Amino acid sequence: MDTAAKLRVIRARTRRRFVFTLITLVLYFSFVLNWTAAGDRLAERLGASHITGSLLMFAALVVFFILLELVFLVLNQATTRAGEDQ
Amino acid sequence: MDPVAISMFLVFVVATLYISYWASRRTRSSSDFYTAGGQITGLQNGTAIAGDFMSAASFLGITGLMFLGGFDGLVLALGAFAAWPLLLFLLARRVRNLGSFTFVDVVSQRLERTRIRIVAVGGTIVVVVLYLIAQMVGAGKLIQLLFGLPYEVAVIGISALVLAYVTFGGMLATTWVQIIKAILLMTGVTITAFLVMYLSGFSLENLFATAVEKHPQGERILAPGVLFDSPVQVATILVSMLFGTLGLPHILMRFFTVPDMHEAKKSAFYASLFMGYFYLALVIVGFGAVAFLYGNPRFFHSDGQLIGGSNMAAIHLATAVGGNLLTGFMSAVTFATILAVVAGLTVSGAAAISHDLYAEVLCKGAPDAHRELQLTRITTIVIGVIAVVLGILFQNENVAFIATMPMVVAASVNFPILFLSLYWSGLTTRGAIAGALVGLVSSVSLIVVGPQVWVSVLGFERALFPYDYPALFTLPLAVLVMSVVSWLDKSERAGIDRSNYHSLLVRSEFGESGQPPPVAKH
Repeated sequence: MDTAAKLRVIRARTRRRFVFTLITLVLYFSFVLNWTAAGDRLAERLGASHITGSLLMFAALVVFFILLELVFLVLNQATTRAGEDQ
Repeated sequence: MDPVAISMFLVFVVATLYISYWASRRTRSSSDFYTAGGQITGLQNGTAIAGDFMSAASFLGITGLMFLGGFDGLVLALGAFAAWPLLLFLLARRVRNLGSFTFVDVVSQRLERTRIRIVAVGGTIVVVVLYLIAQMVGAGKLIQLLFGLPYEVAVIGISALVLAYVTFGGMLATTWVQIIKAILLMTGVTITAFLVMYLSGFSLENLFATAVEKHPQGERILAPGVLFDSPVQVATILVSMLFGTLGLPHILMRFFTVPDMHEAKKSAFYASLFMGYFYLALVIVGFGAVAFLYGNPRFFHSDGQLIGGSNMAAIHLATAVGGNLLTGFMSAVTFATILAVVAGLTVSGAAAISHDLYAEVLCKGAPDAHRELQLTRITTIVIGVIAVVLGILFQNENVAFIATMPMVVAASVNFPILFLSLYWSGLTTRGAIAGALVGLVSSVSLIVVGPQVWVSVLGFERALFPYDYPALFTLPLAVLVMSVVSWLDKSERAGIDRSNYHSLLVRSEFGESGQPPPVAKH
């Protein structure tokens, strides 16, 4: 692969990195909503159970971040197989 | 102390000392010492990273915070966890491809080596020493409580054990101590969480209902607001934890223990997986502590305070749900946790002095290998002595607060230098140094004039700065100064720094690929 092609690949990879980073940061800092009036509903119980939206949000964020990493790795693997690392 | 617990402690200590002996026979070069010869697999390294990061502050501290304030304690858990995806997305590949022993190697690839190394080593040492103080104080207090030993004896004993691991076994021994510790910690947390669920009829609903019934704050513990009441306060913690983790030298160093960037990426993913599981299990352990400790006089002093303070909630919960056997196991695990983290920090601090400063700055990258390894071992001992002295001096300080200070400094100094040197072609040596110094001075100053030091330690009535963890303000300030100074920098060196970027960019993404290394001009 010549330098120009490598730079194209790097640009694509960097875009991908920033998209995944942006998703993570937006979701991560949305956790602050729990302490604002806008997030009041999150603190409420889900139906009759003792589980609140805030607790569910914590668990969902942890699971989502792991899935996001998995998607990132699978995408990387796919592009590597397609010869991106040559 | 229960004989079962003492036996478990002894088994762990003997096993890990044997590992150090085994590793010492395989540690012959600086590369072996700093990075275990780069032969650790992704799974092993991911487990070791989890072992390195899931400190006593995570396990004891977060359980303790949940015991006090329920949901609010999870802010620190999310903060500690969310850095791992970013580490994978932004840093794992590029850092692994560009560095050799430490993250300082990465930033010195394109900037003026001597000056940037001195500044980055300064940041590393401040972070390592602050982190060490927190671990040593926590360890000393824990051993003092568990064994009834004098605090000073406990701190010296811990330091002696860590020195034995690190001085003789280097990164290989440290890695295996961290792997064993991670497995033990996850096993212990799993057993405790399982027993909590068993006693709650395997119903989260029952667990939360019991916790609400027993906690003095009642239903408020299920929602935000018991410990933290301001969104800015929560944001300061989240920023410090997230970007601080991305700048921790002993964590970044672990990416050089694997053979290539594919294994480095796998390491970050496995570490996330283990830590995600750990923090989810802590939800059960934390609310379990509320449900099974409140109202049980066995765990409280007559004045209503939890014996040993809230940091001991996890250990008391083990007693409540699993008796002496589980208490002994969890105590041994906690001890292992502290040893593993201190060992990782010590290797990182030793590498900063002997590799970054001695080998790369003083010897201009051509040190005598034998002398470098010798110096590394001496530095390890010196760091051990410093850790003991500071651990004794700071013994009455708040551990949770000390543990977050290095995060603020790492977020304001190490992370901006590393990120901008990897992703911004305009960064110059002058800009990096100016921003790092502003980040260091502003973060330390704002910590000092914040509530924890200004009011709690120095005794003033009101803090000059309202937040304990100022990275929300100091990180953007450091990035701004780096950007503006770099932009205004028209020096000859600035031109070299900028022109170095593109060739290093290719190397950071594609590795050496059989091409001759360092293309950077210096």
